[in-house]
Amino acid sequence: MLESMLKQHFGYDTFRPGQKEIISSLLEGKDCIALLPTGMGKSLCYQLPGYLLPHPVLVISPLLSLMQDQVDQLKMRGEKRVIALNSFLSMREKQDVLSFLSHYRFIFTSPEMLMQPQVRHAIEQMTFSLIVADEAHCISQWGFDFRPDYLRIGEIQWKKPRPPVLALTATATGSVVQDIVQYLKMDAPYRFIHDVNRSNIKLAKVMFAQKEEKITWLLEHVSATAGPGIVYCSSRKKCEEISLKMLERGIVAASYHGGKDAEDRQFIQQQFLQGELEWIVATNAFGMGVHKENVRQVIHESMPANISNYMQEVGRAGRDGQQALAILLYADGDEHFAHYIATEDLPKQHHVEQFVYYIETGQQPEQMLQNAEISETGFRVLSYWLQQEPPSAVKQRLTKMMQEKDTEVGRMLALILQEHCMRERLVQYFGQNLSLQEGACCTNCGLRIKDFLLERQQGKTVNVEDWRKRLRKLLFGAP
Amino acid sequence: MLIDQILLQIFYKLNNERTINAAYHLLRGKRSGQTIQDVGLFKLYPYFGILRKLAKPSFDDGVSRLVDRDLLKVEESGYFTVTSAGHDELKKLEIPFYDGWHYRGNEHVFFARLSLIIQTLSYQTAGHKYFLPVQRDEQTQAWCRGFLMDTQFHRQTLQEPLYEEMLSTLENAHLSEQQRQLVLNRLSGAHVAGVAWQQMSVQWQLPELDCQLLFISALHSWLEEIRQQQPFYLSKMTGDIRVENVLTGSAYQTAQLYMQGYTLEQISHMRQLKMSTIEDHIVELAMNEPHFDIRFFVKEADELAVQEATQTYMTKKLKVLREVLPHLSYFQIRLALARGEE
Ligand SMILES: [Zn+2]
Repeated sequence: MLESMLKQHFGYDTFRPGQKEIISSLLEGKDCIALLPTGMGKSLCYQLPGYLLPHPVLVISPLLSLMQDQVDQLKMRGEKRVIALNSFLSMREKQDVLSFLSHYRFIFTSPEMLMQPQVRHAIEQMTFSLIVADEAHCISQWGFDFRPDYLRIGEIQWKKPRPPVLALTATATGSVVQDIVQYLKMDAPYRFIHDVNRSNIKLAKVMFAQKEEKITWLLEHVSATAGPGIVYCSSRKKCEEISLKMLERGIVAASYHGGKDAEDRQFIQQQFLQGELEWIVATNAFGMGVHKENVRQVIHESMPANISNYMQEVGRAGRDGQQALAILLYADGDEHFAHYIATEDLPKQHHVEQFVYYIETGQQPEQMLQNAEISETGFRVLSYWLQQEPPSAVKQRLTKMMQEKDTEVGRMLALILQEHCMRERLVQYFGQNLSLQEGACCTNCGLRIKDFLLERQQGKTVNVEDWRKRLRKLLFGAP
Repeated sequence: MLIDQILLQIFYKLNNERTINAAYHLLRGKRSGQTIQDVGLFKLYPYFGILRKLAKPSFDDGVSRLVDRDLLKVEESGYFTVTSAGHDELKKLEIPFYDGWHYRGNEHVFFARLSLIIQTLSYQTAGHKYFLPVQRDEQTQAWCRGFLMDTQFHRQTLQEPLYEEMLSTLENAHLSEQQRQLVLNRLSGAHVAGVAWQQMSVQWQLPELDCQLLFISALHSWLEEIRQQQPFYLSKMTGDIRVENVLTGSAYQTAQLYMQGYTLEQISHMRQLKMSTIEDHIVELAMNEPHFDIRFFVKEADELAVQEATQTYMTKKLKVLREVLPHLSYFQIRLALARGEE
């Protein structure tokens, strides 16, 4: 019985939606695509099989931070046979790990690492029980996180018979799912798509004529209503600005973005998890790997670049199943900035010419990176495609990618501007139908924000103890 | 702002003889011959490499503020003058202790170790074996693992002595209460989250960069105190943190050969390096090794003459000094300057 195994290894009594079906089909040896939002037990889908099957599980994860997160979590649960095979390992360490690879239960690695001849060779000799492609949408050029190296996973000659492949992704549209099946060479995979609708999260939008009005509204709103909540902004500068304004009003807020040092990011995360913060003001860098159950509000100060991002960020509210609210603030013209953010990292036509020029004149194209003429993602995409296709074809491809991003922003804008039920439209975007129509489920259905929020309790302050007391508390626990 | 005070102090010491950017390279601890020599020549030891990640815009902002306050004049060429208002301001500076020359950013290595060890002990006290490590750097993690093994931390007997050591050294070090608080705010553990820079900046009404500068100063002072007291555990954590051999690699090799009795010509030949390079090394040695005897190269009378000339002409520019003292070589003048009073 799978349930007893679940209890034995993880201490849970029941599976979350989808987990049992996914695990059963994997145990039968079938490939599987699972669309599960983060925080909904994605990792259990391969962790439990790891204990039930005889050979190691290989997890390919494109984001280093995410990989480290999962390794840490497994270690936290007491699993010792877990390793992250990444670029942080020294030459010696890597060789050690490679020669003992079959001793591990869970092996995490990145697509880049997998393509190193030494690693690839070792992997192709190994017998695995399961291969997992985490964040599988990165394999699709239509995805917002395209990783060219992910495409090459298809080139690996797995030891026969090939073990089942599990592709995990939080959100993906039809064309992305198609790419995943094709590039991972999946064989008639079982598909599980979670119910996109999260009925406990009410969807609201507030429209403004001027951008400045958004901030005024936001500050009034957070002064009056209760968190904990997340405000998503599109730039680091905005995060700093808004969080400072909140702090000036005596609201316990903190900003979080990729420009902060690693310690700051962890401090703020811990404060948020411990319930010390009312609000986190963040870029989309915040959220992955953060499991906080009682987030009551998610506010988008800036328009997301696509519906998938919106969905993922909204989904961080109300994980405890209790009522939560997502509010999107829109001011006329916000789509221009969303468009800018969405295409910022994409290589442009002139980058193609520049790249070709460097090659032709015998120079290193990496100079473009050093001179900060192109983003890292952009360079990765560009150099991958220029190895595959002639420059003219790459240019066409880039134009198409640009158009696709445009379309995504357009779809997001349409979702905001249209007058039908937002929930219904959102669910339809992911190819599903709304099972149950509720009353005031969104602004378009007559939801009033005030009805759903608790009043903010005054007098919350950051309480930092005197340093001696703090030192004692750190080493000897609470007094 | 503290950063402005530090910048003004550096500009004053540079004596209008370098461009603005020399201060930037100094703060970031650039390991070039020019910057290293400036450190010795202008006695800028405290500030070398105290802000290794200083962004150019933050630096430029600081310079602009000095210019706006009429403390500094900057020419288009990048050269500058400290104004008379600037000289008045210099008397009011309250810059805390720094020893950038000997710590060179390694203070952060020490603090990374300490914060991971404290976090581990904190979770041990709380009865948790696993937690999200505050330091992700593999090298730091490996170091701490070794430390914890060596000290048999599983017996849970480390907390008490480490507490005593930290309390005693923090109390005795030359630190303000605010700095002590700052140090503890950057540590975290079970049920105790660290405090972010932005949060301290708001609480204390200080710019974030100033909070960071106070923190670095706190670490330098604390490390000095640990060096004096030599408590068992903290000394283990700081054993390799202070840079004792401050010479650059190549200069160090020259110095070794010189100490063994080889002449500069012989060293130049042995190392296949130009004579001028070997002379650079000797100057670097003289600047960084207070006991190094320059008498072999410069007579006492000549050393005094150089020092007098710097006073009279208010400059350390080699060209000017050479004109005034034509009987001395550039090498001799540089050696004399290296020995100059602060
Ligand atoms: Zn609705």
